[in-house]
Amino acid sequence: MINKAIIIPTGDELKTGVVLDTDSPMIMQVLLSMNGNCTVIRNEPIQDSESLISNCIKTYVNENVDLIVLIGGSGGGHRYSKTLGKDYTHTSLESILEEKYSTELYGKNGHLWSKLICGIINKTMVINVPGPYQEAKAAIEAFKRSYEHDSKDLKQINTNMAEAVKSKYFE
Amino acid sequence: MDKDIKVIVQVDKTVVKITGVEVKGLNIQQLEEILKDKLKSLVRIIGVTGSSIEMDIYGVEEEDILRKEDGLITAIALADGISVSDVTTLSSVKKIQSVNIDSVPEYIENGCRGERWL
Repeated sequence: MINKAIIIPTGDELKTGVVLDTDSPMIMQVLLSMNGNCTVIRNEPIQDSESLISNCIKTYVNENVDLIVLIGGSGGGHRYSKTLGKDYTHTSLESILEEKYSTELYGKNGHLWSKLICGIINKTMVINVPGPYQEAKAAIEAFKRSYEHDSKDLKQINTNMAEAVKSKYFE
Repeated sequence: MDKDIKVIVQVDKTVVKITGVEVKGLNIQQLEEILKDKLKSLVRIIGVTGSSIEMDIYGVEEEDILRKEDGLITAIALADGISVSDVTTLSSVKKIQSVNIDSVPEYIENGCRGERWL
C-alpha cells in the first residue's frame, strides 16, 4: 500500500509560471483514490537539470517514501527543436534506479516521444509520466490498475503505463 | 534486472510552432480542448515559452493547417494566459517524415550530455 507519495513536476515553463501545473492535482486525486489515508506531497517544480532532479529524488528516497512520481521530461524533443524543454527525467532515473524496467515510444520519424520507467531505489518505487495532461492521466491511471493488481510486478506496471500512453496518440 | 522495450508508434502528425505570442499562466489542457474543437483532431502542446507555443497536430495535413492560420491564431487567443498580436504567426508547419526502423537512434545511458543533446 502506498502511504506516502511524492509528486515532482519538472520543467522550466512550470518553474517560471508560463504554464500552469494541472497534472499534479490530477495525479494526487488518483493516488488518494488508491488510499484515502495516503500522504501526498507535491514538490515545487524542478528546473530541467539532471543533477537537480536526481538530488531531489535521492532526498525523498532517504525519507523512505513509498512512491515518487515524476512529471514531464520524458521525451527527446529538445534534440530536434531548440525551443523545447530539456528532457532529463528519464536520464536521471536511468542513472540512479537500482532495478528498473523501461519502454521507449518512438514516432515513425524516429524521434523519442516518451520514455517511461518504473523502478526501485532502496524501498521506494519511482515512476515517471509524460507532461501532456491526457498522457499523464492515462499513465497514472494505468499505474493504479497495475499496482492494485500486483504491486511487485514492475515490468507489467511499466508495460501497462506505456500502452496507455501509446493509446492516447490514436484518439 | 533491467529491461528496455522499444515501440514504434505508427501515427501521422504535423509539428506546428506559433511565435509572436505572450504566454503567462497557460492552462494547456484548456488550449488543447480549444484547438481540438477547431481542428476536429487530436492536438498536444509539446513546448511552451513566454513567446512561443509548439504543438503536435495529429491527422491533419500541412496545407490544411496553413489554410486555417488566421482561424487558429484567433482560436488560441481564447485560451487563458495567451495574448496574440499582429506579429503572431505559424512560423513552422512540418509533417513528420517516416524513417527506416533501423535508423531509430540508440539511447545512450549515461552518455556524454553534450553528445546526447546536440
